[in-house]
Amino acid sequence: MNAQLSFTDPAKLALEARFEILKMTHLARASHVASALSVVDILSVLYAGAANIRPSNINESDRDIVILSKGHSAAALYSVLALQNFFPMEWLSNYSQNNAPLGGHVTSKGVPGVELSTGSLGHGLPYGLGIALARKRDGINGKVIVVMSDGECDEGTVWESAMVANHHKLNNLVVIIDRNRIQSLAFTEETLQLEPLDLKWNSFGWETEVISGHVYAEISKSIVTTEGPKCIIAETTKGKGVDFMENSVLWHYRPPSNDELNLANEQLKNKYA
Amino acid sequence: MRDAFVKTLLEAAKTNSEIVLITGDLGFGVLDEFQRELPNQFINSGINEQTMMSLAAGYASTGKIVFVYSIANFPTLRCLEQIRNDVCLMDNPVTIVSVGSGYSYGSHGYSHHALEDIAVMRAMPNMEIFSPADPFEAEEITKIIIQLRRPSFLRLGKSNEPAIHLTKPALIFGNAAELSEGKCGTLIFTGSVGSIAKNAAQILENQGFPVSVASMPFISNIDLAYLEQAVSKGPIITIEEHSYRGGFGSAILEFINKNNLKARIALVAADQKDLSQIGDQDFLRSQNGISEAAVVNKFLSLIAN
Repeated sequence: MNAQLSFTDPAKLALEARFEILKMTHLARASHVASALSVVDILSVLYAGAANIRPSNINESDRDIVILSKGHSAAALYSVLALQNFFPMEWLSNYSQNNAPLGGHVTSKGVPGVELSTGSLGHGLPYGLGIALARKRDGINGKVIVVMSDGECDEGTVWESAMVANHHKLNNLVVIIDRNRIQSLAFTEETLQLEPLDLKWNSFGWETEVISGHVYAEISKSIVTTEGPKCIIAETTKGKGVDFMENSVLWHYRPPSNDELNLANEQLKNKYA
Repeated sequence: MRDAFVKTLLEAAKTNSEIVLITGDLGFGVLDEFQRELPNQFINSGINEQTMMSLAAGYASTGKIVFVYSIANFPTLRCLEQIRNDVCLMDNPVTIVSVGSGYSYGSHGYSHHALEDIAVMRAMPNMEIFSPADPFEAEEITKIIIQLRRPSFLRLGKSNEPAIHLTKPALIFGNAAELSEGKCGTLIFTGSVGSIAKNAAQILENQGFPVSVASMPFISNIDLAYLEQAVSKGPIITIEEHSYRGGFGSAILEFINKNNLKARIALVAADQKDLSQIGDQDFLRSQNGISEAAVVNKFLSLIAN
């Protein structure tokens, strides 16, 4: 199989990934389609070249490590990785099915390019922190980039890790928060107030930047560190790209029906293609 | 036991920079030398066991051999899902070291009693469980763990435990370590209750029932050959400083059942009648049914039937 990246343009990669996400969640009758659509632009930027990770360097010790800590957005990660030739596109077709290689939450075993199995929130950052600490001690280059959900910031381990990373001045650690403002049952600010989220991270000693999580150039430009860890709050829209899925709690869970799939595909073609 | 562990780890770490010791802000006066001599292989994560455990897993994923040090239930129950997902599922070579098994921190109260940890760690897939009897075993097992590079749980007593073995035993991973031999039955213990087993054996011998006494520190790898000869010889009493529910005795019962052995067996373990009872280790052991008398009585009742 082709070990080169198929896409260097994140816009093209993200559009193809959106088609795949819709198809996968439809076929598998799986949840979290809107969570995947919200984070897919961020992942597309990372895997289209912003992060130093490609099929040919996944075993090199100084590669950039990308951890998708919001493991429920698995369809987005799998789509992007398959489109970039980390594993065969056919794997997407039986996502979440019996004995399939790709599970409903991010699964790393036997899946090239996936660094950590996730699904329980608040694990990705402390795990990435451990890798960043080890690399710093040994003078090994390569960033650790942890992509989290905003609701995930309810977890205590996120803030414990924020303290530890700052204490060790880990300038090889980047957090990107998919700030779509919706969590499982309701909007984040109704559930457990996160704002002022940027000031919270900043007060923990992190360099903090608020960007649009759907503007490729902004995402790409933000992934740089200076003296310590960096937190990028990427403002996003849950369900981005399909109007009836956008900004709706319902689509955290609901899989698209056949008609909804067709309608969604039409919208994507009209908007992006 | 903790001093034997730290000393052995330090010696190994001096020639192997892959070995890293992470503490959850515990080990006052115990870890100082390690920290002083190998500052690049030592991290105090702070009081944050959940983050510490995932951090340890991530650190180990880069090819390091990571030991996480804390006391009682803090490095086990407090961060269980981190152990399950990030250590066991990801198969990272992290060793969880818990000092203060059973009632070691007796008067500190129930928050500091480690009485459910074997049961909980036994339920973790991929996890090796080590429960040394004395400083000799702690030293040998630390060396074994470094060689194995597996997710591991090392359950230690505290300090100043008596040596149970007369000389350093040649421990083999998965084998029982027999202390003495007798023809009427077997007392099998794990962890720092070896004195109870030895004293009970003496009482039984005085009453005309010489029994074997063996330490079984490898709870995740029970010695089949040893159990086969033990069940054929006579009654077996298991002894542990842990709850009845799911501990060492349960592991032996499950193992006997799985291997279709026929055994006369009874468990000596903590019955935990009053969780809030105050007292030192010896007092709480005896109040909770872990005593020489309990071993002797259970043995005599089995051999009479």
